[in-house]
Amino acid sequence: MLSAIAHTALATVAMAGGGDSSHGLPAGEPFGFQVPIAPVVDEQSFALAAWMIWLPVISAVLCGIYAALGVKSRLPAWTTVAALAGSFVIAAMTVSKLDFAKPVVVHLFDWIDISWSSGSGSAGDQWHGLRANFALYLDGLSAYWILFVTFLGTMIAFYASEYMEEDKGTGYCRFFAGVSIFLFAMTALVLGENLAMLYLGWEGVGLASYLLIGYYYKKPAAVAAAKKAFIMNRIGDLGLALGIYLIWLEYGSLEFGVLFAALQSGASGAGQYDGWAATLIPWCLMLGAFGKSAQFPLYVWLPDAMEGPTPVSALIHAATMVTAGIYLIARTMPFFLMNKASGGHALEAVAWVGGLTALLAATIAMAQYDIKRVMAYSTVSQLGYMFMGLGLATSFGACYHVLTHAFFKALLFLCCGAVMHGFGGQLDLRKLGGIRRVPGWGVVCWTMLIGSLWLSGVPGSAGYFSKDEILAQAFITDGAGFPILGWIGIITAGLTAYYTFRVWFRIFTGPTHFKPDDAHGHDDDHHAHGFHPHAPGLRINLVLAILSLGAIWLAVGYFVGDIWGTQVWIKNAIMHSSAGTGLQLMPAGEHPTLFGFDPHTAMYFVSGTFGLVGLTIAWWLHCANRKSADDLRNWLTARGWIAWLPRAMEHKWYVDEIYIATIRFPLWITSQALYMFDRVFVDGIAVNGTARLPKIAASIFQPLYNGKLQGYATSMAGGLALVIAWIVWVWMRGSV
Amino acid sequence: MQLWILLLLPLITCVGVAFGGERNARAIALGGSLVTFAWAVVLAMQFPHWQAEQWLYWPAPEDNAFPVLPGLGIAIELGVDSVSLLLVLLNVFLMPCCVLGSWVAIKERRREFYIWLLVLSTCVMGVFVARDVISFYTFFEASLVPGFFMLAIYGGPDRREASFKFFIYTFVGSLFMLLGLAYVAWQHAEQTGNWSFAISDLTTFAPTLSAGEQGWILLALLAGLAVKVPLFPLHTWLPLAHNQAPTAGSVNFAAVILKLGLYGLYVFVLPMVPEAVVTWGPTIAVLAVIGIVYAALICWVQTDVKKLIAYSSVSHMGFAVLGLLALNPLGLQGSVFYMLSHGFATGGLFLCIGMMYERYHTKDLREVGGLAFKMPVWSFFFIVLVFASVGLPGLNGFVSEFLCLIGTFTAVPGAQTGYPGVLGPWFAAIAATGMILGAMYLLYMTGKLCFGPLREPADHHESEELPKDLSLREIAAVAPIALVCLVFGIMPWPILHAVEPVAEAVLKPYPALVEIHFEKLDAAAKVSLLTDTTLEGSR
Repeated sequence: MLSAIAHTALATVAMAGGGDSSHGLPAGEPFGFQVPIAPVVDEQSFALAAWMIWLPVISAVLCGIYAALGVKSRLPAWTTVAALAGSFVIAAMTVSKLDFAKPVVVHLFDWIDISWSSGSGSAGDQWHGLRANFALYLDGLSAYWILFVTFLGTMIAFYASEYMEEDKGTGYCRFFAGVSIFLFAMTALVLGENLAMLYLGWEGVGLASYLLIGYYYKKPAAVAAAKKAFIMNRIGDLGLALGIYLIWLEYGSLEFGVLFAALQSGASGAGQYDGWAATLIPWCLMLGAFGKSAQFPLYVWLPDAMEGPTPVSALIHAATMVTAGIYLIARTMPFFLMNKASGGHALEAVAWVGGLTALLAATIAMAQYDIKRVMAYSTVSQLGYMFMGLGLATSFGACYHVLTHAFFKALLFLCCGAVMHGFGGQLDLRKLGGIRRVPGWGVVCWTMLIGSLWLSGVPGSAGYFSKDEILAQAFITDGAGFPILGWIGIITAGLTAYYTFRVWFRIFTGPTHFKPDDAHGHDDDHHAHGFHPHAPGLRINLVLAILSLGAIWLAVGYFVGDIWGTQVWIKNAIMHSSAGTGLQLMPAGEHPTLFGFDPHTAMYFVSGTFGLVGLTIAWWLHCANRKSADDLRNWLTARGWIAWLPRAMEHKWYVDEIYIATIRFPLWITSQALYMFDRVFVDGIAVNGTARLPKIAASIFQPLYNGKLQGYATSMAGGLALVIAWIVWVWMRGSV
Repeated sequence: MQLWILLLLPLITCVGVAFGGERNARAIALGGSLVTFAWAVVLAMQFPHWQAEQWLYWPAPEDNAFPVLPGLGIAIELGVDSVSLLLVLLNVFLMPCCVLGSWVAIKERRREFYIWLLVLSTCVMGVFVARDVISFYTFFEASLVPGFFMLAIYGGPDRREASFKFFIYTFVGSLFMLLGLAYVAWQHAEQTGNWSFAISDLTTFAPTLSAGEQGWILLALLAGLAVKVPLFPLHTWLPLAHNQAPTAGSVNFAAVILKLGLYGLYVFVLPMVPEAVVTWGPTIAVLAVIGIVYAALICWVQTDVKKLIAYSSVSHMGFAVLGLLALNPLGLQGSVFYMLSHGFATGGLFLCIGMMYERYHTKDLREVGGLAFKMPVWSFFFIVLVFASVGLPGLNGFVSEFLCLIGTFTAVPGAQTGYPGVLGPWFAAIAATGMILGAMYLLYMTGKLCFGPLREPADHHESEELPKDLSLREIAAVAPIALVCLVFGIMPWPILHAVEPVAEAVLKPYPALVEIHFEKLDAAAKVSLLTDTTLEGSR
């Protein structure tokens, strides 16, 4: 009965979500896109591929053993770097052998594999079973992702070997064990052959993130941030889990190969919940992606995650883990296209949420003083662009931006980390300045300049090209208000340039001044004798240099793509995977135009102009004429009608406070009330009350119920005797 | 015979403990429980039906029935299928860990303590291996006695109330269960002419009863079993008992005693009263879902860490009940797996808390915390078990939770799995919020207990017998549990494969019944539609 009501209710929801309950296409009509499916199971030539996953596992275990043995050297760092480098080399070898048109499945071992024969036989002779094994799915998308994940992992572990030097000992082991666990989970996420394995990686990176954000576990803020990150992610994971359940309900499989085959042939699910596949699956997956990739409304954990060590911020919270949401949607793009084909709005929602998050986070980043927070909000904002790209069906733009962003944002974070490391944990851009002229900081200064230029999307930089791929698409793809979205993105590009260079100019230019963080001033001697920053060493500088070379390569590679083959390779990888299906559905022929140009051409000028304007304003306010920045601030605060704006931006639009007031606090009150209810009503009145009833009713038989155990034992014995007497009586009667 | 030896081994150890002197009690108990474990492993290796095609008991009943009162059909019959053998293994695996965990904690009346612990082990195993109602019930009830004494003698400050509530509550409930079982046996005798109490006879007979009778039997069985599971709102004995019990008691209560209820659902309710299960399944599932969310929210505001874990059991067992009521192989296998993984994870957590308690003599999260620096080894195991409990993939909790939820989700009419069900996405979706809430309260606990600045009670002084961090003995107690959590998380398939034939056999009648159920509902809906012309044709 109840379930009948529930079914009806859900069917109504499904209808409301997607127009009509069955998708608009005739049953069995192919959706028109081609995914290379028919995975070739090739164990021979890809036997090595498994080590991409196992090497980080081995290194995690070894780091654990080092911790137990009390190793105090750099051994954990070198173990991790070696394992991750090995992982990268194997990834490169594997990818070089891979033909993007023919995805390969490499089976590692059985995990969850349940089969049964059909119960009622009503479903025909279909095979029934849930199969989710440890297997790798190698196609263009996973190849693309695994390469930069393992490469950046190696680089950042190398950087961290110096950065974490002060913690040599247990902390050092713990840190590198965490990094190794992260790389294991990330490779599992990216390479997983089915949704359950993707989910394993998904939660695994969440665990690694939890452990590493909470690395400084004595700091309450770090512990709180770690918890917040895990729980916010779990909210998203609920969406992903429900999406997986729905996919299983509709398609009876969790394996990508099978799912893509079903989708390509136009299957829109089966059973009573016919309309659900097209309507609800993308929305559920989207929630998961927004949680992991820090989009509105689940982005608030990412800025707090900056409590972790900076290499962690660079690796997990900028370059790799947070792109998992992009990966998820790119991977499951056919579901979104099916939704689009049946008149749903999931892709538009992705684009709009991405675009609005980009704007929101950029406005917050403009008013932060903590340089890592600025970078964190910038990450949220850039991830917003990537989602916008996915929503606009330019998977190539989105994925390309993932790559360029991974390089320049990792670079920026590592530069921030170097500054923080060298200046006694100082992150406040008001308390640092003119570092350019401090001896030994040249590499940091100039590599950070490259990172900043790339993030700002200054013409000629990698960020400029990848961002334009997305922004131009807003004026091409047909969708609800996409041109407006495009302008939002362009404005955000201007803001991005402003806040990025606000940081760079404040820290590296102007008169030289610095002081260590208050919390960090371990001993008073330092203050007494003046604080001496220590310049980054060889390993940090080397990593910064390599990453900036990588960033430059990505920009140059865009110009001369055909010669180097970079661009062609990336395009091939994306187009031949499930992510590329979006573009296959693009209407061929005439593009709409922007200012009479092809949007791609126009965008070079438009977004470039906005970026340069933002940069110039930052230069004026924070380098050339710093007094004018103070003047501007004073002017704003003096005027009541606008004074709230900078304040709200500085306080992150009070989103955290709103969440606490509207969700966390009511939930806490409810929990307390329930606990009270449990004690007073359920236990007190219902249970104890019932227990007293016989006592009251039987007060006549008071002597029997004397409340002592012996008394009860006597009655029990009496009762038992009666039962035995009854049994004997029945038995005698039966035997007579 | 093999199973008799299994049941007798702990009792023989009891004799040894009784005569071995107060000082040697724990060593003898440890030896005895290890021997029992070894014997159970031998049985598991002998057990021929791990990869069976069908649901089979071992040893076969005809070889193993021991007639007591043949005229009444009373015969003691022992046997195991893969599910009960797995639960036996869970019990014997945890027993040495419990003994090691109580090594120093129990200082007075040691012999008695270990005797009760071993008796408890026998009783619980007796429930799992019993193949006739009489011995099932006897062991089921008998397990209360050692539990009662462990609580009442060795428990915390509220032990008196806790032990009485534990005893009376579960005892009264199971009287109803006896009534239900007796009714089935009586009807069986009435209609076939001969008495039998063998579970196999009763389970084949009971489904022939009318739907109304089945409903009453279900109610009677639930009265006993739902208390043990525990199902909301019959759970209130549990936080009290688990909180007040000594470490070994809490471990046993959470890991094994709770499983008696679920095992009873699986062994009696599902096979005996299928029609009633189909009709009332959604109602019970609603209680389970309420329990999941309700208990999880309550966990979140606890300051007593043992109480927190106790309430978390209420929440977790809700998932297992849901899986069972999903009426498809996914859910059922998930549910069986849940029994095991909850046993290991929660049992291990209680063990860890016991180790912490021995050092600080408080379970209050406000008084003690930030132990990661001082007790890294302890924190490591604690965090592993917490994440097993959270349901992190790669650890055992995930497999069970995932299967239970996906089973519940697909328990819809006309499901592709071939097993239509009466629950559906809403049940799973609401229950799945337990995933978020679970992370909330467990990480709240971890954050307080392991992380942050070190907080110790004001009157704390380092113990002389215990090292700052875990001793080797304590590591030996908790490390195997953590290892099992990991192994089950990565390699669940041996267990899932072993349960497959059982699941298919238990669920055999269900698809047809569920379809009939929905046909009836549809018919009823049509009738009501016909009377209301405005709605005509909307279906």
